[in-house]
Amino acid sequence: MSSLGPIELEVITGTIRSAEVEIEAAVERAARSPMIRDQHDYRVGLYDAKGRKLTGRSYGSLIEPIFEFYGDDIHPGDVFFWNDPYNSAGSCGHIPDLCTTVPIFTGERLLGFAQVFGHHDDIGGSVPGSLPVQVRDQWGEGLVVPPIKLYSKGVANDTAFRILERNSRLAEHLRGDIDSEIGACRLGSRRLSELAERYGVDALEGAFDAIIAHCSATIRQELLPKIADGVYTFEDYVESDGFTRKLYAMRITMTKTADRILLDFTGTDAEAEGPINWAIDYCDGKFVRKWMGPVLRCLADSPERAAEIDINEGILDVLDVKFPEKGTLVTPHYGRPTGLRFFILIRALGIFAGVLAKATGGKMPADHETIRIWGLHSRNADGKLSLFREVLGGGGPGRPWADGSDVVHIVPNSRNLPAEFSEQRYPIMVERLALREDSGGPGKRRGGLGYDKRIRSLQDCLLLSNADRSDLSPYGVNGGKAGEPYGISVVRGDDVEHLPGMVDNVPVAANDQVLLWTSGGGGWGDPLDREPDAVCYDVLCGLVSVDAALTDYGVVIDTATSPISVDDMSTKQLREHMRESRADLPMFDRGQYFRDVKEQGGLVWPQGWSDPDEWLANAKA
Amino acid sequence: MAGNFRVSIDTGGTFTDVLAVDESSGSVFVVKTPSDREDPSRALLTGIDKILTSAGKSYSDIETVIHGTTTATNAVLEHEFSGIGLLVTEGFRHILEIARQSVPDGYGNSFFWVKPPRLVPLHLVREVSERILFDGTVYRELETDSVIRDVAELVEMGVNRVGVCLLHSYANPEHERRIGAALASRFPDLFVSLSSVVLPEYREYERAMTTLVDAMVKPYCRDYLMRARKQIDERTDRMPFLIMQSNGGVVTAEAASDKPVTMLLSGPAGGVLGAIEAAKAAGFKDLITLDVGGTSTDVALVDNLSIRLTSETVIENYPVKVPMIDLATVGTGGGSLAWVGPNNTLKVGPKSAGAVPGPICYGRGGTEPTVTDAAVVLGRFPSSLVGGDLHLDIDAARAALEEFGRGFGLSVEDAAAGILEVATAGQVTGIRQVSTLKGRDPGGYCLVAFGGAGPLLATSVAEFLNIGAVLVPPNPGNLSALGLQVTDVKRDYVRTHVRLVLGDSDDVEAVWADLERQGTADLLGEGVAADRIDLVRGADLRYEGEGYEVSVMLDGDALSVTLDGAGGRDLTAAVAEFHAEHERLYGFSYPGRQNVELVNLRVQAIGHTRRSSALPLLPPDRAPSPGASTRKVYWRTHGWLDCDIFDRATLAARQHLDGPCVVEEYGATVVVPPGWAGTVDLYGNLILARSDSK
Repeated sequence: MSSLGPIELEVITGTIRSAEVEIEAAVERAARSPMIRDQHDYRVGLYDAKGRKLTGRSYGSLIEPIFEFYGDDIHPGDVFFWNDPYNSAGSCGHIPDLCTTVPIFTGERLLGFAQVFGHHDDIGGSVPGSLPVQVRDQWGEGLVVPPIKLYSKGVANDTAFRILERNSRLAEHLRGDIDSEIGACRLGSRRLSELAERYGVDALEGAFDAIIAHCSATIRQELLPKIADGVYTFEDYVESDGFTRKLYAMRITMTKTADRILLDFTGTDAEAEGPINWAIDYCDGKFVRKWMGPVLRCLADSPERAAEIDINEGILDVLDVKFPEKGTLVTPHYGRPTGLRFFILIRALGIFAGVLAKATGGKMPADHETIRIWGLHSRNADGKLSLFREVLGGGGPGRPWADGSDVVHIVPNSRNLPAEFSEQRYPIMVERLALREDSGGPGKRRGGLGYDKRIRSLQDCLLLSNADRSDLSPYGVNGGKAGEPYGISVVRGDDVEHLPGMVDNVPVAANDQVLLWTSGGGGWGDPLDREPDAVCYDVLCGLVSVDAALTDYGVVIDTATSPISVDDMSTKQLREHMRESRADLPMFDRGQYFRDVKEQGGLVWPQGWSDPDEWLANAKA
Repeated sequence: MAGNFRVSIDTGGTFTDVLAVDESSGSVFVVKTPSDREDPSRALLTGIDKILTSAGKSYSDIETVIHGTTTATNAVLEHEFSGIGLLVTEGFRHILEIARQSVPDGYGNSFFWVKPPRLVPLHLVREVSERILFDGTVYRELETDSVIRDVAELVEMGVNRVGVCLLHSYANPEHERRIGAALASRFPDLFVSLSSVVLPEYREYERAMTTLVDAMVKPYCRDYLMRARKQIDERTDRMPFLIMQSNGGVVTAEAASDKPVTMLLSGPAGGVLGAIEAAKAAGFKDLITLDVGGTSTDVALVDNLSIRLTSETVIENYPVKVPMIDLATVGTGGGSLAWVGPNNTLKVGPKSAGAVPGPICYGRGGTEPTVTDAAVVLGRFPSSLVGGDLHLDIDAARAALEEFGRGFGLSVEDAAAGILEVATAGQVTGIRQVSTLKGRDPGGYCLVAFGGAGPLLATSVAEFLNIGAVLVPPNPGNLSALGLQVTDVKRDYVRTHVRLVLGDSDDVEAVWADLERQGTADLLGEGVAADRIDLVRGADLRYEGEGYEVSVMLDGDALSVTLDGAGGRDLTAAVAEFHAEHERLYGFSYPGRQNVELVNLRVQAIGHTRRSSALPLLPPDRAPSPGASTRKVYWRTHGWLDCDIFDRATLAARQHLDGPCVVEEYGATVVVPPGWAGTVDLYGNLILARSDSK
């Protein structure tokens, strides 16, 4: 058997990476829930025998729940399963995420684990889709499963399968999803076994150590030097918990030293009555550290280099976290509802990017909100549930190197539903599928645009919307302005009802229209520095209006020419005037709604905490 | 009237390979001529002239010319974008900008990833006032006057190609047809592609992209094919000129230039067909093809001697959903560079030394070690290649590899063997994409290795995947041109027809029959005799609720799984095959337990061409070759061993070769490692198998 050299390391690293892709392909091809299949809302991971994550495309769950519940009762042919946010070491955020794990052996020796967890269509609870807005505890959200074995030494646990299937409104989807995940894990586990046979267990385990150490070293050598040592604070908010509409703040203090980063969540607001809590204060915060770590990749020398940097277990060696006492949004008491925790999960990335913007002189991307779910559900004539549900992306962030991408989704390879698919499958008609003009935050690098979508319902149904950022805007950075927030309305004849972002069971009658706008990304840098030709091209394409070109960018467009053109003289004059008559540019812009709330005293900081937005843009960035 | 000399021409990046079979005598002729990047038709005609000279034939002796070309692929790779416009249904102007809202690869990439430019910039997209529903009902009538005005504007802005993709046009193509007719009469010079012609299949973004790729390559393909046609016509009278398609069949040059999106894999398809021909002669049915060139490796999987098609091909980030050979390409070839990657790993490719400067050992200025240099240093290659035309500088390669190995603390041999190991792993990744990723265990397949560098690593690739047999056809550098000789005329037809598989299936029969009529008419129009036409039905099916379909074709194999034993060409047969294929692909299926939904109906129309085998028999009376010489060759497992070197041209039928040994021929070198043995079959195929206990 060979020992670990550069050749073995390369082949083992490459095989693990391609195994991750193989597992993903196997899940995606056979899974049944559109959430998994199209929206790609699932995670794949390969781990070593100690439960350390080896793969880096996806943040993954954890293996620790297996150790905690089963110790060394781990055998070939076992399949572990759970969806319990409070019994999964903080690795499972909400109960529609069903996590499947297969241990990998060579002979009798445990080599590691293959894991898939995905967002399934329905696991019970009071609302189809299992994400009720108005729910006060976890028992109302659906069926909660602590770590169990779905297979034990190759024998299926039919009892468990029967209970699971009975508790889902879409039992066939659920069964198809779980079968596809198990099949995919088994496929991936064969790759690790084959490597052990070819190179020996010692070389393989040596490679695991090297892969993890390489991740820490890359972060230390390439990324940390770009962050100025010091202490920085930032905060951001969830707008509503389904019961009360107010700002629920998540706060962090980052302490950056030469070779480490500490993120302290102390100061975060108290836990909510509704389902926006996120139980991450378990297992040294391993889950949230792996979740937030990839944000650091924005500091790589180029976007291409950023994409190459895999964040695996090695991040734990660089990034520490500290939690406040029990009873906050990130340290909720046992059983508090968590279904819509994805708002705060996205906020976590945004506030990390915010402290990094301060510590790098503004060299970070702006904010973007890229997940919200909306849908229509009804019973067909045969009594079957029709659940049309979309996860819609939003505008990407403006950043030093490029404009934000339009309508992107944070989940990698997530796909929207084609109109031609939706119209065949559901009683709806897609009347408009477009980008929303002027929704991208103005900036030297403009925020990406959100959707402008119009759907007509063809039968009576109920509407659900699980969206944050419907009042607040994704923030702009380094002088860039905020993007436009989300909106949803129902048009009934001549009446237009504007709905809040978080609602359940709003009646929509046959022939009513639903209008949707998703958020634009925040802008980056001073909009008055944007090249006038770039503004003019945006106007030509209908992405920016002539008015916004004038008021946001100080660019005067001559619409009398063909094609339209920039009036250079007037633009120069106008921009000079605008520069002279404005105050110093702040580092962050959170939009008009936030300024109003702040002015009206709607923001209360905890003791010892000061306004984190008191920070100026860096003109030299 | 035409003669019986069949000429096939495969245009590659460096050389144009020409092969001809004289049907009257069975003789095979082979020539090579340099490719002409600027005007490939010049090399095409030069090649024909050359082979006629070498065979002592004239143009009047030619029966058919069959051609594999990379024109369409080159147009895509060279990003010939500007001047493309797009017409879409009102309300969908941003279809390309939105795409599928996807960000590739890892979590958090939405922060830094930059969406690449769209195929058509937004200001060249126009909306059409019309709307059709999913069942084909016209909801809003088409208004053509504004279309003409809009297109006039686009033409004014420099547009010379237009794609038309209206919502649900697969269910009712009438509006697109009317637009096509109006544009043809008003703008005769404009290249127009209609989505209902290119790909009458649901999913609007993918259909639009496929249509635009068709429009994008159309001027280049039409120009090239018509120029070649004209030059051929100047020499002879209306000789059939057939073009290889991505589906492994040929059509006339005229049909190909009408729908050139089907030519994207015209080049590699010939190689796969050649591999099938060689395997058929050698008695293998299930194969994986390994076509290794200078910069990359193409692999494909073949079940039961028939090509597997996929409609999920992505070329340069563009989904192109017409049926193509299910082919994976990895960036590892003979000229791939070895380099030091992050984390002190040894990397190979995808950067390549190319034809210029080429590997260090070619002595043309190359300074970075390649796979070929590693092979030379280990004694796998002789001291000269291409029949002695190319002398190899082993010392220079060795010096460079010593230097390269020192960085890792490796000896020159370990560094060179390591480069081959990593290159092998790269090719293994490619094979997994077409095998395990599609539910096939490669262990049960025969690996057919060809292309200049294919036979070098084939046995190590086989060991990696537990493949027991490797087949190296004669002239492995020229297999694509041979494959072109044995192809049939093939055209694919598809129509989206969504419904649950319940109750009677008269409507399904009617759609199939309609597609069959269309296929028969097209093939008759192309001059195929009625009694040589075969029609294969297929269907794309899924369990109700699945988002992706499984394609099944009701060819010979499917007949055996029909439960009622009757027909075998109906929906019942398709559903039975669907359950079986789902089980193969994903490891589970629900026959009798879950509803099956029909999505697309397919027909492949095949026109069988008359031909004899292009693989001649070896002379039966030749004596087994004793081996020309011996040379020291290094093996990672055994170190340096004395090995016999054979000249392939002298091998006799049924000759047995014990590994380790090396078989050399013009344009390729076959390596038989320790623990392997080779046998030569009656056609000169070299079949390698494990001879040790493994």
